[in-house]
Amino acid sequence: MDAFFASVEQKDNPELKGKAVAVGGGGDRGVVAAASYEARKFGVRSAMASKSALKRCPHLIFVNPRHSRYKEISDQIMAIFHEFTDLVEPLSIDEAFLDVSHNKMGLPSATAIAEEIKRRVKEETGLTASAGISVNKFLAKIASDYQKPDGLFVIKPKMVESFIEKLSIEKFFGVGKVTAEKMHQIGIFHGKDLKKRSLLELTRLFGKNGAYYYNIVRGIDHREVDPHRIRKSVSTENTFLDDIRNKEELKIRLEELVLDLYRRLQRTKFKGRTINLKIKYSNFEQITRSRTVLHEITDYKEIVELSNNILDQLELTDSIRLLGVGVSNQIKPNEVVQLTFDF
Amino acid sequence: MKFVVSSTEILGHIQAISRVISNKNTLPILDNFLFELKNGELIATASDLETTLITTIPLDASEGEGVIALPAKILTDTLKEFPEQPLTFEVDPQTLAVKLSTENGKFSIPGQNGDDYPKNPEKEQDNIVNITVASEVLLKGVNKTLFATADDELRPVMNGIFIELNNNDLTFVASDAHKLVRYKRLDGRSEVESSFILPKKPASLLRNILPKEVNPVLVEFDDKNAFFTLSNYKLICRLVEGKYPSYGSVIPMNNPFKLTIDRVELYNTLKRVSVFSNPASNLIKFELSNNELVVSAQDIDFSISAREKLMCQYEGEALEIGFKSVFLLEILQNISSANVVVALSDPTRAGLFLPYDNDNADEDVLMLLMPMMINV
Repeated sequence: MDAFFASVEQKDNPELKGKAVAVGGGGDRGVVAAASYEARKFGVRSAMASKSALKRCPHLIFVNPRHSRYKEISDQIMAIFHEFTDLVEPLSIDEAFLDVSHNKMGLPSATAIAEEIKRRVKEETGLTASAGISVNKFLAKIASDYQKPDGLFVIKPKMVESFIEKLSIEKFFGVGKVTAEKMHQIGIFHGKDLKKRSLLELTRLFGKNGAYYYNIVRGIDHREVDPHRIRKSVSTENTFLDDIRNKEELKIRLEELVLDLYRRLQRTKFKGRTINLKIKYSNFEQITRSRTVLHEITDYKEIVELSNNILDQLELTDSIRLLGVGVSNQIKPNEVVQLTFDF
Repeated sequence: MKFVVSSTEILGHIQAISRVISNKNTLPILDNFLFELKNGELIATASDLETTLITTIPLDASEGEGVIALPAKILTDTLKEFPEQPLTFEVDPQTLAVKLSTENGKFSIPGQNGDDYPKNPEKEQDNIVNITVASEVLLKGVNKTLFATADDELRPVMNGIFIELNNNDLTFVASDAHKLVRYKRLDGRSEVESSFILPKKPASLLRNILPKEVNPVLVEFDDKNAFFTLSNYKLICRLVEGKYPSYGSVIPMNNPFKLTIDRVELYNTLKRVSVFSNPASNLIKFELSNNELVVSAQDIDFSISAREKLMCQYEGEALEIGFKSVFLLEILQNISSANVVVALSDPTRAGLFLPYDNDNADEDVLMLLMPMMINV
């Protein structure tokens, strides 16, 4: 979906149409969750502090997020997808991979399906979506980002090679800011530069991601569209109204968060072996600390104790604006586990 | 209160007890040593409230009696720097200031009222158990088991050494639920049957002060504390409360396949091969057949792999079993015989690691390690 949260707000409140809108807290401590295309022209981006967003775009209108409303529309969109295929893998609240090798509607081409889906989404939600079509997930994702908003872009098999060669490295799905920076330093700016590197060299430079980069630059991505994609972590966080310095007070807040986390774990039936604690200081510096145990953490008391323990061992360098806690590191099928005595 | 003591003598004693002092003390006075001059003897104490170590320091001369607390860090830092010489400590009873006179100089250290120092726990006379143990037995029991203790905030009983006494033997057990060590001594009997869980910290302190001990050690314990009396030291510690799991049930009775192998050779192989294991799992694979052991590891993510073949004596069916290399290395390090015997049954059950021959006819060493398995 294009500028999803912001578009929903503009649709529900016609006064916002055509205006620079940011969804998120507008106060001193707020953060932009999504920006309308009008706001993006001024350089407003999601995850930007509201204060700096206002500096770039002084007439920016802030709207409080309404997550239940977004979820409602998300469900509507996902339902539309499912009318075309069962192989729908949600990537986030507003995007999904669809494997349309076999489609339920008997449409002749993927492009026809994409057009039909876009039409249905527009008709039922009043919102625009962008579609990307190609032979695998990596390419489809890149294609969908290529012509936003209201786009439809196809990377045909015979275009794949030249398309990837010209693609700048930061546009690669799976290459983040840090990796892109690292690649730039060694002279990799486009697909064609990446393609020149051997598998051995990429493994040396990027560890296990090396093989992934080696393959995708050749258009090879055998990951299937998995409708039951496994969740990797469950977490929750809170930005405080006032920064907290006192550890005892933080512990009280931590316990509230753990209770919420525990409910989420029960709802999602997720089990993991690592507890993660995330802290954002008032200067926006962010740190994460984790503790891993050899078994799956399911007990409420254990989450409290492990997370408290991480906090105890932390030396706080500043007051804290955000605290988060989560569980990750699920035991996957075929993973090697250390067995335990039964006592 | 005044005493004269050899600089190296006092340094040796306070360095030994300074290991008790925690760097996260809740009570500031615990950053001090407590010195008590009584009957011409100097008794020095260090404590973290849970563990207290007391030593008696021989003096060259003394005058008067009394107690004083002196800052541990300043004292050890200064004493370290003196060549052997007599040192004179003189306490001003009014100001509690201590004057330390040396061959060439004078040092002054502010003392604190020794009466403010926490009192040592009392023995519960009606349910105290006591046993006298050869220092070598106690030292070896701690040395063999300490590495296998857990670090588990949620199961504190696992964080100590379980010491069990009865009519037949003295047994030390430690386990972190993945590995288990049982060290038995037939020459350490007791009339009463009893047990206690010794926490890690006092156990590692014992490991430091026992090697020099020549006399048998008196061990007394009640429900809360244990008291170890050595010739020059006294260690008092709070015990881990709770019930130790019934470890006997996890020791396999029937492990029919038997591997006998040179311990050091296997250790060195593991050291090399484990570099190639996946750092998250540390998985090492054993493939056993026909007097041959193949040790292998791989990390697919980084396309590295290693494989070494070792000659051994193996009686049993062909078997493949995985272990965590770090645990294997720890176990092999804590067995002292030249050859080690590994008794196995199947890839899901614990392997038994035994010395081929014991150092001593009265000892019985048993180590257990659970394998690693592919999750299904």
